[in-house]
Amino acid sequence: MTSKTNNIWRTRLKRFTAPIPLLGWLLGALGAVILEHVAGDPFSELLGLPKIPVLFGALVMLKKPLLIPSVFFYVLVIYGMPLALVSRWCAKPANWASAHMLHFSKPFSVLIHLALLYAVLHAWSDLSAYRLLTLKFTLIAVMLTLSLNVINGYMGEFSCSHPGFMALGAYVASTFSLSLFVNDRLFGEALLPAGLGPFLFPVGLILGGLVAALGALLVAIPSFRTRGDYLAIISLAFMFIVKSLFENLEIVGGPRGMGSQPNWANLPTVFVWTVLCVWIINNFVQSTMGKALNAVRDDETAADAMTVNTRKTKMVGFLFAAFWAGVAGGLFAHVLRYINPGTFGIQRLAEMLAMVYFGGLNSVYGSIMGAVSLSLLSEALRPLEILKWIIIPLLLILVMIFRPTGLIAFREFNVGNLIKPKKTTRIED
Amino acid sequence: MTFFLQNLVNALQWGSFYALIALGYAMVYSILMLFNFAHGDIFMVGAYIGFGMATLLVALAEMGAVSPPGWLILVLTIIISMFLTSFLGMLVERVGYRPLREAPRASAAITGLMIGIILETGNLMLLGAQRVRFPRLIQSTTYDLGGVFVTNKKIMIVLVSISLMVALHQFVKRSKWGMAMRAMAFDYAVVPLMGVSINKVARLTFAIGSALAAAAGILFGVAYPVLDPYMGIVFGWKAFVAAILGGRGSIMGAALAGFLLGFIEIFTAMIFPSTLRDLIAYSIILLILVFRPHGFFGEDYSARLRL
Amino acid sequence: MPLLQVKNMTHYFGGLRAVHRYNLEIEPGQIRALIGPNGAGKTTVFNLITGIHHPSEGSVILEGENIVGLRPHQIASRGLGRTFQNLRLWRHMSVLEHVKMARYSRLTYGLTGAFFGTPKRNREEEALEVTALELLEMVGAGGIAHQNVLQLPYGAQRRVEMARALATEPKVLFLDEPTAGMNPEELLQMMEIIRLIHKKMGVAIFLIEHRLKVVMELCHSIQTLVFGEVIAEGNPLEIQNNPKVIDAYLGQDMVE
Repeated sequence: MTSKTNNIWRTRLKRFTAPIPLLGWLLGALGAVILEHVAGDPFSELLGLPKIPVLFGALVMLKKPLLIPSVFFYVLVIYGMPLALVSRWCAKPANWASAHMLHFSKPFSVLIHLALLYAVLHAWSDLSAYRLLTLKFTLIAVMLTLSLNVINGYMGEFSCSHPGFMALGAYVASTFSLSLFVNDRLFGEALLPAGLGPFLFPVGLILGGLVAALGALLVAIPSFRTRGDYLAIISLAFMFIVKSLFENLEIVGGPRGMGSQPNWANLPTVFVWTVLCVWIINNFVQSTMGKALNAVRDDETAADAMTVNTRKTKMVGFLFAAFWAGVAGGLFAHVLRYINPGTFGIQRLAEMLAMVYFGGLNSVYGSIMGAVSLSLLSEALRPLEILKWIIIPLLLILVMIFRPTGLIAFREFNVGNLIKPKKTTRIED
Repeated sequence: MTFFLQNLVNALQWGSFYALIALGYAMVYSILMLFNFAHGDIFMVGAYIGFGMATLLVALAEMGAVSPPGWLILVLTIIISMFLTSFLGMLVERVGYRPLREAPRASAAITGLMIGIILETGNLMLLGAQRVRFPRLIQSTTYDLGGVFVTNKKIMIVLVSISLMVALHQFVKRSKWGMAMRAMAFDYAVVPLMGVSINKVARLTFAIGSALAAAAGILFGVAYPVLDPYMGIVFGWKAFVAAILGGRGSIMGAALAGFLLGFIEIFTAMIFPSTLRDLIAYSIILLILVFRPHGFFGEDYSARLRL
Repeated sequence: MPLLQVKNMTHYFGGLRAVHRYNLEIEPGQIRALIGPNGAGKTTVFNLITGIHHPSEGSVILEGENIVGLRPHQIASRGLGRTFQNLRLWRHMSVLEHVKMARYSRLTYGLTGAFFGTPKRNREEEALEVTALELLEMVGAGGIAHQNVLQLPYGAQRRVEMARALATEPKVLFLDEPTAGMNPEELLQMMEIIRLIHKKMGVAIFLIEHRLKVVMELCHSIQTLVFGEVIAEGNPLEIQNNPKVIDAYLGQDMVE
């Protein structure tokens, strides 16, 4: 295509999508997943696909390249068409609704959008256990990436301690669940009725987060005196210590780990915690108190001279981030329903760092994007097996060379802007 | 007492590996102010190259119906492998780090991690998940020195390591390029102004560091003949910690810290159950870093992984 | 009682004596200056008073309270604002964020407000923004509130740093070479800003300066620091004609 035709298509695309508010897109997505529920099976059979493609066809494409045209059609008809058409048709009423909801109450509007988003995710993942698992892990990855971004991006430290925080949360939450509500080998008889379990699950998660935050003191306090490189080592040592600690703690299974966590981490639970995590972290980093993290990062001496309590700021930053890593760890343990010390080592660290730096430092959008894209990519490339671990690192190296701070760095996440109605001026075609 | 001396010998050997690898880290860290997280995997590749070389040489000898002494093959292996691995190091520098010279150092660190993963995966792809066995080149003989049993292998490993370190020390202290490296460690920006190419110094730094890592890999293969693609992770990270412990700006400090780490690990295993070894070693390191944050011989450059 | 009193402050860096028996008194609303050749220790004096280093000997008394040993942010909250010789701005933050940040110690919404976006926090942040914009207007930087500081020309950056220091609501404002690197036009503008601040906010000002013009026109009294010791103190005219001062600057490049 010449650059001129390229531009024409781009402008056409822009015109098409410009009037669609977020509400419209969500309705379009809902239309797509409903269509898939209704027509997915027969349609994929028609196209000669063995079953409904679980991950937008990526896995099928790699395993059986001959089916690529079929997959393409499937995605186009089942996802692309409803998304485009429903979103566009609903644009006007969606704008009207967005405007009125916003006018009525912003929290209300946000809740409606979240409910719709949840509906889409639920419906999509309902069709396959694999989808559900992938979705849950992706949401947890979002929590981990965002919380790591608080330390590495907003605070500008290079912290390798996150797997350690995650481990603390995972083990504490698991111990809480198993010892109190389940009869198992490690802890013996349950102490409380199993029915109470799901309701007290949040308590276990929060407990895990708090222990992780406590552990973060070991990294936060040295950060008062040492900077950058030395803190990186201290945090690395911390991670190895936590891993080694659990390897030697027979009471939680030692190197063999703990399994059979109760199946309480269902999609609504994981979704709600992820939303909470994003909401709270975003609130924090947008406030002046949160921006103090940036000030300490960019010039600590100046921050000091401008009444910023640098120690408290660092302390809050580390403990807050560790808390969420701990909660994510607890959720992780209950989704996978098995953890061992090996889960929380260098490989986990590399994955987390990749997601943060790929997505973008100091950016909520970046962390969400990085977590989702690398999680999905990692799943999608599974058929390539070991080649996956050449492609993904290469991709990351390319991003580091061309955009060293990540793809969407330093971008503010403004909820108000997200959910507001778009202008629906009729542009002459 | 003999028990103590016995472990001392073991610690010297164990520490040699850490020291040689730590040197590579420390050089890159001091001179180029970056962490080369791929270094542990370069150690692994060096060991494998050594394995390949040794196997090749042995096969050639058999074909040629000659039987050279084992130590000759070993020496040739070490020299050739060091040479070849240095090229790998230079390649890594050129492809991964040079484009990021001006970028935030954290980005270079991530790149290093990724290169490491690629090296590990490459190994898995080429050689499969099987472990390989380093060919036995030297017959093991044990000497009894008053109750302390020392194998010739251990002596050789320690001697070779120390010779390499001494050679490096002399190079850095006396040669022209060594001086350039010291200058760059001191003030990075001024060196090109004096007509010395940063690229050349960087390449040389990586070449030397990688060669040393290869030597460590081969010596490791002599002592513990079973190699696996992830051996770089275990050693690499610990040597990395040792390098920082030695302090920024001090290459010999890194070597000393490597030996110290070896001592800590061996003597911890002596007293405590071996599963606690990592836990205690890292705790000790953590304590040292908390109370002496600039390492043993480092100065307060307040170096920062800046955004 | 003077607003700020420094008594017999002495400081050693290792074996080097940087400041020797330094004394200072600033009354409310005064404008005083600290001049001296390069390397005399002027910025060190600033750093000692504002808490970046703890003086080896001596006391610093702000409104009757000895502030030696307090951390810099505590001293700043008590009313000592400052700017820096080599502009210490925050590379990734906007102009407005700089000024808002300086009011950190006045935030009362705490972590609850920060995490949950409470109405209290929203109110405080809005008020913060209003105040910040007013301060920026005052120094003539109102139009650039949302720009990233690195993109601004040098003169504008200086104003931002000034506004930021003012946001701490100082009782005494320490200005470290506020006119460094400025051309004559920018210089006059900066002097105007300093006069405006002094008039509108009634703040006492203590500045380090190399340019005699600025010092002579703005200040009530001047100290001359050489090798860490005050060799002369008095009003502008006295200092200008003081043989010790002239001697200290012999061979030095004194601008204007």
